[in-house]
Amino acid sequence: MQNTLVLLCIVFPALAAVVMLGAPGRAARRAVIFATAAVVGVSSLLLAYHGPFVLSPKTFLGIDVNSVINTLDFALLLFILYLSFRMKNSLVTLFTVAQIVGVAYLHFFMGHESGSSPEIQADSLSLIMVLLISLVGSFICVYATGYMRAHEEHLHLERTKEPRFFCIMLLFMGVMNGLVLSNSLQWLYFFWEVTSLCSFALIAHDGTPVAIKNASRALWMNMLGGVGFVLALLLLANSGHELSLSAVLGDGTLGGNAAKVLLLPMALMCFAGFTKSAQIPFQSWLCGAMVAPTPVSALLHSSTMVKAGVYLVLRLAPAYAGTPLSPMVALFGAFTFIATSALAVGQSNGKKILAYSTIANLGLIVACAGINTPGAISAAIMLILFHAVSKALLFLCMGAVEQTIGSRDIEDMRGLYSVMPRTTLIMVIGIASMILPPFGMLLGKWMTIEAAASTGWPMAPLVVMLALGSGLTVLFWARWAGILLGNVRPGARPAPEDQDGTIRGPLLILAGAAVVLAFLSPVVYEAFVEPMVALPYNLSKGAFTDKMGVYAVYPIFIVLALGARWAWKCAARSHAEDKAALPYMSGIQTTAADGTTGFMGPMNKPEKAISANYYIRCLFGESKLTVVSNTASLVLLVVMLALTTGGLQ
Amino acid sequence: MIMLLPYAVAALVLSVIAGGLLSGVDRIVTARLQSRQGPPVLQPFYDVFKLFGKTHSVVNPWQVFCSFVYVTASALALLLFFMRGDLLLLFFILTIGAVFQVVGALTVNSPFSQVGAQRELLQMLTYEPILILVFIALSMKSGSFLIADIYRLEEPLLPSMPLVYVALGYALTIKLRKSPFDISASHHAHQEIVRGVLNDYSGPQLALLEIGHWLDVVLLLGICSLFWSTGVVGMIVLLAATYFVELVIDNVCARLTWQWMLLRGLCAGVILCVINLFLLYAV
Repeated sequence: MQNTLVLLCIVFPALAAVVMLGAPGRAARRAVIFATAAVVGVSSLLLAYHGPFVLSPKTFLGIDVNSVINTLDFALLLFILYLSFRMKNSLVTLFTVAQIVGVAYLHFFMGHESGSSPEIQADSLSLIMVLLISLVGSFICVYATGYMRAHEEHLHLERTKEPRFFCIMLLFMGVMNGLVLSNSLQWLYFFWEVTSLCSFALIAHDGTPVAIKNASRALWMNMLGGVGFVLALLLLANSGHELSLSAVLGDGTLGGNAAKVLLLPMALMCFAGFTKSAQIPFQSWLCGAMVAPTPVSALLHSSTMVKAGVYLVLRLAPAYAGTPLSPMVALFGAFTFIATSALAVGQSNGKKILAYSTIANLGLIVACAGINTPGAISAAIMLILFHAVSKALLFLCMGAVEQTIGSRDIEDMRGLYSVMPRTTLIMVIGIASMILPPFGMLLGKWMTIEAAASTGWPMAPLVVMLALGSGLTVLFWARWAGILLGNVRPGARPAPEDQDGTIRGPLLILAGAAVVLAFLSPVVYEAFVEPMVALPYNLSKGAFTDKMGVYAVYPIFIVLALGARWAWKCAARSHAEDKAALPYMSGIQTTAADGTTGFMGPMNKPEKAISANYYIRCLFGESKLTVVSNTASLVLLVVMLALTTGGLQ
Repeated sequence: MIMLLPYAVAALVLSVIAGGLLSGVDRIVTARLQSRQGPPVLQPFYDVFKLFGKTHSVVNPWQVFCSFVYVTASALALLLFFMRGDLLLLFFILTIGAVFQVVGALTVNSPFSQVGAQRELLQMLTYEPILILVFIALSMKSGSFLIADIYRLEEPLLPSMPLVYVALGYALTIKLRKSPFDISASHHAHQEIVRGVLNDYSGPQLALLEIGHWLDVVLLLGICSLFWSTGVVGMIVLLAATYFVELVIDNVCARLTWQWMLLRGLCAGVILCVINLFLLYAV
């Protein structure tokens, strides 16, 4: 049973991707995508329903699976090498050659055995990742069918590039499922590198010079992470470890010498995770990735790619618990959280705000992994889950808005509610789900701060960074929500919104998921998080309780929902009955001929009232702040690696 | 904790009255400090009743939504306080109200509202981290974020956490909208951005925001009272002294710029908390 389901989750999307290349028209492509979404979605649900499992597929159709993966590994690296020559990008060449040498040495000279550990092992963390990848990823692909149509019409392409696009999108889903299900580190490494290549191809999709430049930057940064991964594999093999997660995690918990030998490989793997999760100083690749069509950003930012990085860091957390690496990881993550939150404050480009907020939340997850208490690990898993849903939702909204108003600047979104009422409302729900209770992100943040506070004085810098970062987060989200709901013409009713079903559907489903999952967070927690951690919270009557505090999900949710309903009713009644007033502008407010509000100018003519957000670029501007935070984070990284090399002697 | 619910609801209702009375006393004391007679102590209630009776007239119906959410959130936060609940959760809920007040102001195309909202956001950026750090400091001393656990302490917290209390004073000044931090909306409509973030709320919505504000003030004073949790007399003396100091500061200070508040105020607050945390750890 699980054999088949795993095949359907990993291999089926890859096969569908190949079919996609040959699909004859838009209808056929849609059919392939809908079918894949349905198959993968249902398989993932069934997998999750059946719970944890292990599989050891030695042969498939009579072929040795391990040797297939090894061969594909070399093929993949050689292909990237070819790409690097074609792009004349010496950094990519350098890092790829290093990886080829490393992998070749591992295979031909170290003579290690694949060992007795199963290649595939799924616990509830893997399963929750599979669910996110398969379900959120599927909705994004469905959305992309509608989005790409408009996108290509806008670009006036002679020949459609959709088959290539959807091929990679589907492949990405399959590969990510493979990544989170792998127990064998060689498998994990292979899938890891495929995601790097896939994201390169997707970022470069539009083929503009900027797209290619940003894609190659993404590639070199991720290949650098790959080098760290290969080095870690070499060190592990050298110290006689079996190359599997279960073996590494099993050894780490023994403590003593075994853990000491593991320290540097773990640090290198965390480093690889940082590059993939675009932690500072590698944030530029993810910010550059926004040149791609919006569904790509949605996919990269929510359920795939960047989540692979934090998945690895979190997965390895038990192995480096109690070592000096752990607090360093926590500090590094918290620093990324505060630095990128500050960077987001200085941005008016909506996609960039989303990108920095993604990196900030990944930083928060990394910080949780570093705090490394059961409560913190719970927080990390909850944050991964709720962030994936909310961020996918926000990116999809952003894409729909951009295609309608032709801008991604949030200043151009003032009064969007009168143009796109439904999408705006969904977007505001998405924003609220990032910063306000009763939504799930706040439960995660509550767990994080609790866990950080319980670490005591030595982690004081960490709690300060978390506190400041949270403040910054609220600032840039709240003002965005506010200007979205503005109205330029008082009293006017918003125009009803016409939207393609492939776009409307995923938006509604994801918004619903954000709300429903928030309400069901105790259930989700019991099903997926509790098996992973040593019972940090006591769940009774829908409240998370431990010795540090109580978060009562159901009562809070119900009271706030009733409050919001009451507020909504009063607002609707006011809209229907009350007199529409002009905004106060010292008594000279007036309405222009087109119905917009402004004031009487000196020539007795109506003038427009124009306002803009405070972006405070002198403090939060990208140019200065990036240099400062990159330098600081490099220092942190160097200290982290230096602390762990002590384990070699 | 659930057993405290009826008591907490009653306390919530009383808080509305207490908040209004406090506002009245505030106005009288301020007036006396300025050698004026001042209004009657019930004046804030007269104001609110009058506002409720005004003709409804709104610039953007979202403002109505926001004002109702604000009151709901403030009431829920205070309810949690009286139920001796979790300080962090209470803080998150308090944020809902603050965010929606700003959102409501931002939905209006008036420069006064817009500037007020931006400044209010910067005020939030200043007091939120300080409040989180204050709560973390409390949790380090009492072992949890639960208010119930603080009441279990046998010694008052103030002697060991004076610097944290001063930092909390920053947050309190901002939340009370007192000088030098009445940057986004002053009590007196003579500042350069008129009533700032409250500029375009009118009639019943403004009344709701006023009631929400009373509740927030009661909550903030409640948090101050946690620093002398061992005796009612000490608690009352501490709160009265704190509020009086706030009034004096309000009357002797000019309004500062948001740059000053953000750069100096926030840094000072954070540093005070960190030093105090270190002292707690070292001693």
